[in-house]
Amino acid sequence: MRRLLTVLLLACAAVGFALPAQAHNVLVSSDPKDGATLSASPARVTLVFDQAVRQGYAQVGVTGADGSSWADGAAEVSAEQVSVKVKPLPAGGSYVVGYRILSSDGHPVTGKIGFSVAASAAGAPAGQPQQGDGATAAGQDQRADSAKAAEAAANGGAGMAVVWIVAALLLLAAGTAVALRRAPAASTAAASTAAASTAAASTAAASTAAASTAEAEAEARPSEGTRA
Amino acid sequence: MTATLTSRSGQRVAGGRLVAGAFVVCGIVAAVAASTLTAQESVPGIPMPGPIVAYGLPVVRVLLDLAAVAVVGLSLVPKLLGFDDPDATEPVLRRVRPLAVLAAWTWAICALLTIVFQTAELNPGRVPTFGLIASYVEEVGTGQGLLFSAACALAAAGIGLMAVRFGEKVPAELRIIVALFGLLPIPVTGHAVNSVWHDPIMISMEIHVTGAAAWAGGLAATAVFVAPHRGLLAVALPKFSRMATVCLLLVSLSGLVTGLGTMALTPGVELPGAIVTSHYGVLVVIKTVLVALLVPLAAHIRFRLLPVIRRGGATALVSWTAAEVGVMGLAYGVAVAITRASIG
Repeated sequence: MRRLLTVLLLACAAVGFALPAQAHNVLVSSDPKDGATLSASPARVTLVFDQAVRQGYAQVGVTGADGSSWADGAAEVSAEQVSVKVKPLPAGGSYVVGYRILSSDGHPVTGKIGFSVAASAAGAPAGQPQQGDGATAAGQDQRADSAKAAEAAANGGAGMAVVWIVAALLLLAAGTAVALRRAPAASTAAASTAAASTAAASTAAASTAAASTAEAEAEARPSEGTRA
Repeated sequence: MTATLTSRSGQRVAGGRLVAGAFVVCGIVAAVAASTLTAQESVPGIPMPGPIVAYGLPVVRVLLDLAAVAVVGLSLVPKLLGFDDPDATEPVLRRVRPLAVLAAWTWAICALLTIVFQTAELNPGRVPTFGLIASYVEEVGTGQGLLFSAACALAAAGIGLMAVRFGEKVPAELRIIVALFGLLPIPVTGHAVNSVWHDPIMISMEIHVTGAAAWAGGLAATAVFVAPHRGLLAVALPKFSRMATVCLLLVSLSGLVTGLGTMALTPGVELPGAIVTSHYGVLVVIKTVLVALLVPLAAHIRFRLLPVIRRGGATALVSWTAAEVGVMGLAYGVAVAITRASIG
């Protein structure tokens, strides 16, 4: 038992240290700020999280009080910033920015902030002054690139794993079927045998589904490879 | 003679079903209830996943956990029974081994289904295609963790099959370790913090997951398969009791460290207040209460029933165990919600 514990602790340590530091994203600030009243319609809405947001999957919507949508195009992710262009907003309205991003620890994170445009504001976007935008843009691009590279490095190629799993699945399915047929039915209680056989039937049905899933994943992979 | 035999085996089956049923039903009910109550509210302008995903994901996820617990517990049975008296233990083990294989299969299938459901969750309004699933696994650590867990479950099924064929020549330790190893990637699918404390918290999480599985699985397997045989129970239960004491300490300590640590290290979370205001904090409190509920139940079995069982007397062990395992099932259900609840 002590030997078992030692092995387990070592295994825990190995896995624990091998895991990349991916954490849960939290919204730390935004432009415009939550609850702000703007004097002019913003050209874009930017949400800033405490750490890099995963590429893809990010969605940002800008919705008026009447449910109309004002976001112009899809959300753009640049390291920890997620932004979306905004159509010219009519003055004197309040708007809700809803977002759903994929946190770097793999959970969808949703939330919303609100802002309003003052009634006296001009209808067209007045080019919201964004301090030092041009200067940091290059740096942001670089950071986005390195974030992409880090993501790719952390994830590696899982392609071979799928092939192995398909092979193991087929082998095990055959083995399970044979072993359960051979299992000494007479020695077990009748009820437990019945339970086992119904379970076996459902497992067999589900396993074919799982195997086909994995196979199709394997087929889908070559195209993924060429993209990378 | 035949009549008493059948009624005894009927009672045995009923007791086993009670324990297993309490575990599964409590797990699913708690998972769906806790996930529904702590679901992220829909935001204007953002499509949210449909009810199939909202309810299906927690159910599949908790079934994954329960199947993994079953595999660990069933693998522990030979170790608890000992290897000195094969004539007495072999009939029990002949029933346990095929069930361990089936549970491992269920585990693997639930892990793969969870990947499908999580892909669907990230792509609301679309039926997940194989391309979407492949890119999810390629891009997101959760998908890879589940895939690795499924692979370990299949390995456990393979080794279990060898045990069905070759009996105890297949080392029991090997089966336990492979099953526990399959649990290690599970914390990757939960929360993580962006801090130097990430690794210690991850290890604390690993201890929590493996300890809980050994405790719940060992208890359920002992009650279902060993309890009907008084002689074997007198050997196995004291061994399990020692292990359970260690597990109880490890699980409650590591749970508190992980829960409070994760909250303390998340930016924008004020600790004493967030325990009652955030979903994550409330779920931590609920789990603490459930563990506190387990203590008297476990103590009753340990200090009241165990001495009687040692002497070979009859006890209401199965009913008490069903109650304890039911509370464990609730805790597992809440655990599914806690991995997904918002911290802030």
